[in-house]
Amino acid sequence: MDFPFVKEAISQLFSKSSCAMYPAVPSEAAPHYRGRIVYHPDRCIACGMCERVCAGGAISRTIEKTEEGDKVTMSFNLGSCTFCSHCADFCSRNAIELTGDYHMVATKEEDLIVTGSFIKKPPVKKAAPAPAAAQEKPAEAAPACAVAPREDGKPISDPSKCVYCTLCAKKCPAGAIEVDRANKTWKLDEEKCVGCGTCADACPKKCIIM
Amino acid sequence: MFKKLIAESAAKSPWLFHINAGSCNGCDIELVSVLTPRYDAERLGFKLTGTPRHADIVVVTGPVTKQSLPRVLRAISQVPEPRCIVTMGSCPQSGNVFKGSYSVAGPLSKYVHVDVDVAGCAPKPEAVIDGLALATKILKEKREQM
Repeated sequence: MDFPFVKEAISQLFSKSSCAMYPAVPSEAAPHYRGRIVYHPDRCIACGMCERVCAGGAISRTIEKTEEGDKVTMSFNLGSCTFCSHCADFCSRNAIELTGDYHMVATKEEDLIVTGSFIKKPPVKKAAPAPAAAQEKPAEAAPACAVAPREDGKPISDPSKCVYCTLCAKKCPAGAIEVDRANKTWKLDEEKCVGCGTCADACPKKCIIM
Repeated sequence: MFKKLIAESAAKSPWLFHINAGSCNGCDIELVSVLTPRYDAERLGFKLTGTPRHADIVVVTGPVTKQSLPRVLRAISQVPEPRCIVTMGSCPQSGNVFKGSYSVAGPLSKYVHVDVDVAGCAPKPEAVIDGLALATKILKEKREQM
């Protein structure tokens, strides 16, 4: 009698399993795996860009008025997330991070919601002359000279380069920029502006200075 | 005497029934990879069945479309108690990118009690194994209560 596979069968009995022995042997996700969202509220400026680009509608932002300022709470519902990383890519402050943690198992829906909150203080009212001058400069079509960057980290447009294409106003997540193409004016609403820098990135003429 | 033996044996080998409720096929492929030799959930006792009547754990993928809803509910109602319903991926939990569509009737939790949610789009096979392990635990508790 001939047993052709006996040798093979016996050697396989004592060899190591070719399975990934997962629960016994822990496994790490591949590099750049997009798993559980980690939110850093200390970096966030509440511009709302992440909420706007989220395809699954997983991100929500609530603003409560408190004595110290506006309490902004961001919540990320991992049960509605596609882990596309759009929110992290668009975040100008790197406040959203997609980690390699893939253990997202829950018995309640609340366990899959990542939240974080911070208090956003209203902008400090400065002495009138400095900001007023900065605001007026771009408004009047001033002679060809580069403007100095502002001290408070908010954008300023160089009127010598600006073509009033309105791209910055369209991209602004807070709706703080108003551009009038007919009268060639560029206006910034300082109350609304969060200083995210999206307008400066969007400007085709690179005339917005942060 | 036999009852205890059967209960103990059944707890070690929960059988799965997989329902595709309008899924994009991403989660279905991940579930297949859990059951095939790479991750081999059968070494942990999980076995895919062809009929809901043999199942202990129901794995639902997809956003539960209007077309699939009556079939999903009919299949789930045929699973004998104690049963455990596992949603796989973001779709059955919330609708994911399909939410708000005219043809989506989900989320699944509107219609039946969901025991375990496995998040991810699609979840990693390891996460699915975690979810199934949790489902087994819940199933054991349910069996003890009966």
